[in-house]
Amino acid sequence: MAGITIAALSTVYPNGVRAVDSLDLEVADGELFALLGPSGCGKTTLLRTIAGLEGASEGVVSIGSRDVTRLQPGERRVAMVFQDYALFPHMTVAENIAYPLRVRGVAKSVQQETAVRTAEGLSLGALLDRRPGQLSGGQQQRAALARAVAASAEVLLLDEPLSNLDARLRLEARTFLKKLQRELELTTVFVTHDQAEALALADRIAVMDAGRIRQLGTPREVFQRPADTFVANFIGSTPMNLVPRDDVVLGVRPEYLAPAAEGLFTGSVSIVENLGVTSLVTLDCGEDQIGYIVPEDSEPSIGAVVTVGAPAARVLRYDKETGLLVR
Amino acid sequence: MDSSGLGVRRAVAFVAPALVLIGIFLVFPALWTLYIGITNYQLTGPAAANPQVVGLDNVLEAVRDPLFTNSVWLTALFVLFSAVIGQNVLGFALAWLLRSVSPWLRRTIEGLVLLSWILPSTVVAFLWFAVLSRDTGTLGLLLGSPETSWLVQYPMTSLIIFNIWRGTAFSMLLYTSALAAVPPSQLETARLVGASGWQTVRDVVFPHIRGHVLTNTLLISLWTANDFTPFLLTSGGPNHQSEVLPVLIYRQALEGGQLGYASAMSLLLLVGNLVIALIYLRLLRRRA
Repeated sequence: MAGITIAALSTVYPNGVRAVDSLDLEVADGELFALLGPSGCGKTTLLRTIAGLEGASEGVVSIGSRDVTRLQPGERRVAMVFQDYALFPHMTVAENIAYPLRVRGVAKSVQQETAVRTAEGLSLGALLDRRPGQLSGGQQQRAALARAVAASAEVLLLDEPLSNLDARLRLEARTFLKKLQRELELTTVFVTHDQAEALALADRIAVMDAGRIRQLGTPREVFQRPADTFVANFIGSTPMNLVPRDDVVLGVRPEYLAPAAEGLFTGSVSIVENLGVTSLVTLDCGEDQIGYIVPEDSEPSIGAVVTVGAPAARVLRYDKETGLLVR
Repeated sequence: MDSSGLGVRRAVAFVAPALVLIGIFLVFPALWTLYIGITNYQLTGPAAANPQVVGLDNVLEAVRDPLFTNSVWLTALFVLFSAVIGQNVLGFALAWLLRSVSPWLRRTIEGLVLLSWILPSTVVAFLWFAVLSRDTGTLGLLLGSPETSWLVQYPMTSLIIFNIWRGTAFSMLLYTSALAAVPPSQLETARLVGASGWQTVRDVVFPHIRGHVLTNTLLISLWTANDFTPFLLTSGGPNHQSEVLPVLIYRQALEGGQLGYASAMSLLLLVGNLVIALIYLRLLRRRA
């Protein structure tokens, strides 16, 4: 068991792209940590640099008290689950799970025992003799997780763990993953481009852009007080309203806005989108489009003029020039 | 059935020229070889004018002929060491190692290897003659033993090394494309659990490319068994020491004039090829 410390880390590709740019990060022991960002932001490169699959150009990666920057991937005591799970198609589930032990030359009986025990823990007990091709997507993911767990690594790395599953299964797998991580108390870093996934799973989130961390915080902090307009835009299933006012940009989440006698914005209703138990209403306020959320059965009619407001603590101010949150 | 909409007559008219060419240059000579294999047909003399059918006598004679059995043995050695082992292993090793070097170096090495493959046999044979010959040969001079006549003192070894050099490019190309089909995430998983290079090849790479290995081995085995280039280097000598089957057949037919006898040997070589092919096909099917 160990945390991860990353100091002034840069990963530069041969073509000169700085995928990770002098980045500092500390992941606590036993934490479930998300690297979140749009594609090309460097989150996967950072994960692969922690694993040792990409070489660090500058800086230090430490696991626990060990400096692993120059170690081979196999010497770092990290396990990784890839987006495509990377199960070996010609091996059974049991052989796949036991593979890390087989490489180390562990006795056959111990391999078998570990495979059975790990598989039971991930409810794969009945599938030990199957081959990966005979498993569903969710089962394949659990088999890949079991192999990573059987490696008894100090750090678990997950690359887009839920993106290959269909929507319904994804929710189930998300709950399973969080439960498993809590049971194992294993330091886990996962990469995702899906902000909802990061908010739901992680203890802390690093929102990345262009090889740097834009904001680091708990899901609540990142959701309620995005550090800049980039994060504000990226986090939240409905985008945050960002409205220029005088010398600042006002930021209010649609979820925090409600009709009020004296409010922030007034406009006529142009669109109503049904989101299930809520609806997203778009107000036409001259130059700006303002979205707010209403509960079901209380949608205003199109064309109605509505004034909306939010509690003062929920209205954020961003600097017009830098886009940074004004405290 | 008439998916092209040509009608049977016109369709036949279109393929007829090709079929005629194949008939004249492939089917007829093959059948002709089979026929003269059961006669005592010779290049000159009375048997050239009036060949007699002798049945399977030629085949039986060949099986008892020490020159033929010697030749079968040499051919087996040639195929085993230069193709099945040499080209296969070296071709795979090059393909595997060249993945991780810079593109510039990789293209240079691939280019050089390919060059040895695409040059005409006669040119290549002449070059190797210059390298291996006595007194002035490059190899002898490099090793400080110009008195060694490599092709005379070590004829089979020379042929085997020559054929590895000559044919590795094909295996390298085939394995390069086969390796591209191995999912990178599986190779990286092996790296992460600390698998050695050999463990990675055995556990991850080989199961993916097994079909390629079999196909490649089949092709290079057949090509090597039927290769006539050894004649250009050693002519089968000295004293039949490097007389692989194609060379023996050629010498029997055109130097000895025994066309019937040589044709019977060709038939046996063909049967040998078929046996090799059947074994590989059986292995391929078992895998599927």
